Amino acid sequence: MDLPAGTRNYNYAEDMAIFRTRTHWFLLIALLIILFTAPLWFGDHWLGIANRIGITIIAVTGLNLLTGYCGQLSIGHAGFMAVGAYTSALLVGKAGLPFIVGLFGAGVVAGLVGILFGIPSLRVKGFYLAISTIAAHFIIIWVIEHWTSLTGPNGIMDVEPASIGGLVIKTPTTEFYLILIITILAIFAAKNIARTRVGRAFVAIRDNDLAAEVMGINIFRYKLTAFFIGCFFAGIAGSLLAHTSRVISPDYFQFKDSILFIGMIIIGGLGTTTGPIFGVIFIRLLDEFVTQLSPALQTAFPNLLPGFTSGIAPMLFGLVIILFLIFEPRGLAHRWQLFKAAYRYWPFSY
Amino acid sequence: MKHRKLVLLMIVLAVILLVTPLLASCGGEKAQPGQVLKVGVMTPSTGPVPSKGIPGQHGFADAVEYINTELNGAGGYQIELVWRDSAYDMQKVGTIVQEFMDVGCLIFATHSSTEMKAASGKSNEAGFPGLAAFISTINLHPTTHVYGPTPDYGDDWIAFAKYYMDNIWNGTGKPKMALHGLTNPTGQGAKDGAKAMADELGIEIVDISEHKISTIDETVSLQRMKDEQIDVLFISSTPEPTAVIIKNAKDLGMFPGITIGCAAASFGKALVDLGGSATEGVYGVVHTASWDDNVPGITKVKEYCRKNNPQDLNNDDYLSCWATMMVMREILVQAVENAGYETLSKGGIEAWQAVEEQGIQKLKDYTAEGLMGGTVRYAGGGDNRLDNYLRLYIIGGGKAVPVSDWQEAPLIKYEELDWWGK
Repeated sequence: MDLPAGTRNYNYAEDMAIFRTRTHWFLLIALLIILFTAPLWFGDHWLGIANRIGITIIAVTGLNLLTGYCGQLSIGHAGFMAVGAYTSALLVGKAGLPFIVGLFGAGVVAGLVGILFGIPSLRVKGFYLAISTIAAHFIIIWVIEHWTSLTGPNGIMDVEPASIGGLVIKTPTTEFYLILIITILAIFAAKNIARTRVGRAFVAIRDNDLAAEVMGINIFRYKLTAFFIGCFFAGIAGSLLAHTSRVISPDYFQFKDSILFIGMIIIGGLGTTTGPIFGVIFIRLLDEFVTQLSPALQTAFPNLLPGFTSGIAPMLFGLVIILFLIFEPRGLAHRWQLFKAAYRYWPFSY
Repeated sequence: MKHRKLVLLMIVLAVILLVTPLLASCGGEKAQPGQVLKVGVMTPSTGPVPSKGIPGQHGFADAVEYINTELNGAGGYQIELVWRDSAYDMQKVGTIVQEFMDVGCLIFATHSSTEMKAASGKSNEAGFPGLAAFISTINLHPTTHVYGPTPDYGDDWIAFAKYYMDNIWNGTGKPKMALHGLTNPTGQGAKDGAKAMADELGIEIVDISEHKISTIDETVSLQRMKDEQIDVLFISSTPEPTAVIIKNAKDLGMFPGITIGCAAASFGKALVDLGGSATEGVYGVVHTASWDDNVPGITKVKEYCRKNNPQDLNNDDYLSCWATMMVMREILVQAVENAGYETLSKGGIEAWQAVEEQGIQKLKDYTAEGLMGGTVRYAGGGDNRLDNYLRLYIIGGGKAVPVSDWQEAPLIKYEELDWWGK
């Protein structure tokens, strides 16, 4: 870990600590205070957006472990979210199991399905693997659409709200706390996975799989592990989506979402723990901004050409992403690193 | 070192102080007493179906302009339209409906049944009443806080099937029908109608196919239908896939030859524009008056459409959304009259309950200036369709012309059928 000038580690615990200095702890506590008091300032609408951001961060953190750390490009992540969403909705709604069981069941089933579709990764990589994961998305959605005796002809219209120990979580505020806590746990877990032997093996495979194999890393095992973990996170995200939206159908898991997830980790910064957080917040807020922009433009300029205000939103959305990729191709996490480096060396410029 | 930490602490505090009011201004806005009645509307103006969403958006907006300028709003209060583009993104729909509730909307409308399905998870939980301009069976059964200004897609199938049996079919035995439905409530609604009534009407359903909204070729499913020697094909979709299916049917030599009928969301000017001459002779179900009808509502629709959005002239999505807004206005008129503006201005659950019980459920004999087939009313007894009349059209000479008079769509209690939801 990069530390401020003059700060040294004197033992193993200090070396391994994620939050090393008092400043780190202070900032962490301040951030947690801000997050946990957010319902006091946010309206339900913004809490809803925050919930959507949290759920997406969990899914994209999983994708980042799979793609950013292990180098296995997956463009079917929304499909794995769908597996988690349906598994959880069915376990809780039809089987009558507790929400916690549904949540972990969603992760495990999505992880196992991920392993199934990860098997080709032993033979194919790069664009070829991307194609096989695209196929995974469409196969999963096709199965959901046609297995109607289980998934319902119109999806599941009455998903049970999450409940833990008698507390029914169905208001935007309680949903916010549930999603916030699980998001924090997911980020913490991802950070630690990346620092373990498994995480280092992922990076070795990503950087040069042949060299990794020569060093004794079981490539197949670790690739499948990466698929399981990445899809486990997607399943957890899908479960939260199901129990907070209260309705699920294949329409919720579109192929464009899978592509957008890739965009999020690229914009945030591949292979960094903070990357998914930055990428998701950036894209989701941009999405909200353009949603609000269209009616604002229409009100401000009533004589604009018909359809212009609707068209401007996706155009702006695309333009911002293109400009971003041109001027900050290493992602927002890199910009954050530069900021932290500047802070560490302050007031010196080197 | 201490100095630097102090600076950092000050920065964090400053950020919190700055951000808190900013964020507070972003949300937390509850319905405040004022002189407007807020109505939330979402349309898929971007995404896969802008051909329906943009005219619908214009229809809602122009109707509000007409209501506020010429009808003195609703019960003397101006209607404030809160419009959002859903982009046909179902995850986004949830945050939009939450926003409608948060900013004090009294009622909301979606353009499509699929949007309403996604919205109803949040809105039903809160008791927030909503209407979908195009509605499906799944939205209305069992009854919740969701209402249909018109009949649903199940009614469309039943109406077309009855018309077909009475006026077109002249063979012996049961005609063979195939269904081609979108993989969402639009397609499912027609399937539900067929499943409920096909036997009773004496129709054999030999093939049920599904297609995606982005489909560009359906020759495989159509070839199968051709091999099955179908007599009639019913499509319940949006105009783009419907045009693809009709063109494919023509290319395969099936049409003309078989009869093709469409549910309301498939049919209209957009279908003619997309399908061209291939659509000549295609039947469709329409829930509202025709652009050529001589009724006061159509005169106003044309006037505002020509003034603001002339490209939408003759568009059925524009007309359906205009008609839906007129129904919403009448609901608010009733709510203001029966519950009082004070109750509505409080916003939240109390206001939504007043809109539903004192507005929607008090609807009676509203003609919607002739835009609807019947009169808009609340029937109760498990029927959340506020109007249950529809009419059959055929495309001829590049435009849709009526071939039947208005007919009443009976209530089918799907939730009481043993296969429902399975």
